[in-house]
Amino acid sequence: MIDVINLKKSFGDTEVLTGINIKINKGDIVAVIGPSGSGKSTFLRCLNCMEDPTGGSIIFNGVDIADMRVDINEHRRHMGMVFQHFNLFNNKTVLENIMLAPVYLQCQDLKKAKRANLFRKEKLPITKTKQQIKEEAKEQAMALLKRIGLEDKADVYPSTLSGGQKQRIAIVRSLAMNPDVILFDEPTSALDPEMVGEVLELMKELAKEGMTMVVVTHEMGFAKEVANRVVFIDEGKIKEENSPQEFFANPKDERLKDFLSKVL
Amino acid sequence: MGNFEQKVKIFTEIFWQENGYIKVLEGLQNTLLIAIAGLLIGIVIGTLIATARVIPKYKLLPRVLNSICSFYVALFRGTPMVVQLLVFYYVLLPIIGLKITGVQVAMLVFGLNSGAYISEIMRSGIQSVDPGQMEAGRAVGLSFGTSMMKIVIPQAVKNILPTLGNEFVSLIKETSVVSFVGAADLYVAFNYIGSNSYEFMVPYLVMALIYIALVLVISLLIKLMERSLKKSDRRN
Repeated sequence: MIDVINLKKSFGDTEVLTGINIKINKGDIVAVIGPSGSGKSTFLRCLNCMEDPTGGSIIFNGVDIADMRVDINEHRRHMGMVFQHFNLFNNKTVLENIMLAPVYLQCQDLKKAKRANLFRKEKLPITKTKQQIKEEAKEQAMALLKRIGLEDKADVYPSTLSGGQKQRIAIVRSLAMNPDVILFDEPTSALDPEMVGEVLELMKELAKEGMTMVVVTHEMGFAKEVANRVVFIDEGKIKEENSPQEFFANPKDERLKDFLSKVL
Repeated sequence: MGNFEQKVKIFTEIFWQENGYIKVLEGLQNTLLIAIAGLLIGIVIGTLIATARVIPKYKLLPRVLNSICSFYVALFRGTPMVVQLLVFYYVLLPIIGLKITGVQVAMLVFGLNSGAYISEIMRSGIQSVDPGQMEAGRAVGLSFGTSMMKIVIPQAVKNILPTLGNEFVSLIKETSVVSFVGAADLYVAFNYIGSNSYEFMVPYLVMALIYIALVLVISLLIKLMERSLKKSDRRN
């Protein structure tokens, strides 16, 4: 689904990624680990072009999204992203946070279709009205909130929530777009230890349902238990990639051995 | 103080009997009109400029836009309002051949001028919003402009509301120079009353009081607005 070919990224003169190759298939759960400053977050942020790659290509569903000419917004709809610091929209209620993008983007498409139909013989199909879009999005959002047990928080602002609640809402916010893959950028690093569990639990559920996930994490337990592939990034390169059993039992790379001995 | 009472009497006479109050109401209307129109135009221009200046600058177009905006801001902050009014009214408009009234020119110039100031206020407001908010917007597939409009700018405005109120207050006070281009504001009205009686003390005193009252009312309105915008801040 995502095919990363010789991905490079530098900030000014500092080369952060020096050529990354990886193929992520549908249903994969890839855990990305590595020491800080190794480029693992940058790698993840390059996957949806949050940072524009300076070299190489990222083929997502058959399109090279590293190419500056593609409409990246179109492709990001199919790639959810969850941040370390949650980044819920502070000026929107929880429900609005979840509904904003689906409603806005569908309405935008509707407008485009209507405009195009003015000049076209063969009309584009218009199946939903604005009202229906909103109602459906609301229904879906409430269902998602119910799933994480926070439906009573639908109308509060994010500032009143705990970190764990915020992160779970951030996850369902990206689910609301029905993405093909979700990118997690250290989703539990900013949480109280007590709240890490609830977020990991939700992620495990998603994994079971077959969601494709790329997770930058320091949770070795999660990598071992849930991921089907573990990737070790150091000095801007993938130093080792293996199934979790092999990865943790028989690390081959020297740097990885050293890293594991410190974190396990 | 008998003298002062005499002056007050002259003032009230002209104010009520020789249509002084109509002049004052007209002046008040023009003053408010110019300040409010200036603020609204300024907010639109300021927001556009501020947005243009925070677009990431590794492409050519944003860089060109940025330099144009910097030039605009430098131009309008670098010259006094009176000079801008005079240049527009006596230089630019005759050249273009456009015939508009002094009040309209004043609204336009106040808008352009406050746009330059508001752009800087807005820019600091935008930069005070966590960059993660923009990233989250982009990550769900919203464009830069949409994320800006729906997420960043509403939060920025909340942060800069007190400063924006300041800008409005200073616009109100600065309207006192529009008589340079023949617009009848509060100053013109009270000057009319004063010159009718050759007695300026009371009219100008009342004028000062009206300005203070205006500013106090506006401060109150801003405070109310701030409170209603605070609802997303923490614990409602």
